[in-house]
Amino acid sequence: MTRRIMWATALVALAAGCATAPRKDYAKLYAAQPRSILVVPVVNKSVNVDAPDYFLSTVPIPVAERGYYVFPVNLVKRVLEDDGLADAGLVHGADATRLAAMFGADSVLYIAIERWDAKYVVVATQVTVEFSYVLKDGRTGDVGPDRAEDRQDWVPAAGAEPAPSLVAPAVAPAALDAKTPAASPR
Amino acid sequence: MRARSLQALLIGGALLLGSGCVRQGTYHWGRYDDTLYRHYKKPAEREAFVEGLRTTILEADEQGLRVPPGICAEYGYALYEEGRLPEAISFFQRERTQWPESQVLMDKMIRNAELRAGKKAGPPALAPAAATGAAGALEQSLEKNGRQKKTLENKRLEKKP
Repeated sequence: MTRRIMWATALVALAAGCATAPRKDYAKLYAAQPRSILVVPVVNKSVNVDAPDYFLSTVPIPVAERGYYVFPVNLVKRVLEDDGLADAGLVHGADATRLAAMFGADSVLYIAIERWDAKYVVVATQVTVEFSYVLKDGRTGDVGPDRAEDRQDWVPAAGAEPAPSLVAPAVAPAALDAKTPAASPR
Repeated sequence: MRARSLQALLIGGALLLGSGCVRQGTYHWGRYDDTLYRHYKKPAEREAFVEGLRTTILEADEQGLRVPPGICAEYGYALYEEGRLPEAISFFQRERTQWPESQVLMDKMIRNAELRAGKKAGPPALAPAAATGAAGALEQSLEKNGRQKKTLENKRLEKKP
């Protein structure tokens, strides 16, 4: 019974997430046709210390499923940390073209969490996350029009059990619509 | 083979279009996002994350599914951290073969692993001119990380009864 309710809430959250995904004009980036995306660690402006890592873990799947090569986020994070860039703010402040050259990436995706609210209810916790993101061209450092913002609600099943993949789909369709060619698996 | 992967892409694309967003599409992810999150939340759950990566690759191979981008690299890095360098190199190579987009990074990781393995005689290989600063620092820091990992491993071993 509880299980069924959890499924229902998860489905509602999923549907809502898909419905609210915004569309942005990324004409310049489409022209550059990035095939690979370096997702750098997430900047945290919320009071929840876990939020950035939590969010980071949700990003690779939806982005890769849209046909991009997504650099291994954990490896990238560790390598940056070892390179003295443990602070996500420092990474976001670094030159995008230099970061891209370091990893051989076509583009760099920066995400910042603006707000992170968790409401505890009987069967599940509802989390509302507001975040902004920007995708930069790895060769020129060019950006889409502006920093894009988004807001999403989702319900991690059973409170402690996260359903992280429900969060980031909002990032993926907005920044990366299916216009660019897929990455090339061999 | 080419036709098959094209077909898979088309099917994946159709699924994406049809449903707006799907949990599983083109690739076999296993529990990647879940275990990664848990690993961040509790660093002690690193083993579950690494084991999850291994399982994902094994399952994909057994069932003829596609290993997602980055997974072999993540697993290779975990092996690298554990000092299992030849295995690490083979997974970095697999990532590079499957995803040419990863070549720059995988070349660096492989070189680092080779250096650490001490197999190479003579001075360390020079980084490409364009990225000398970053790459140099990258290599040094990776070395440092290897040492830290060892200490961690030892501590973990000590704790075992």
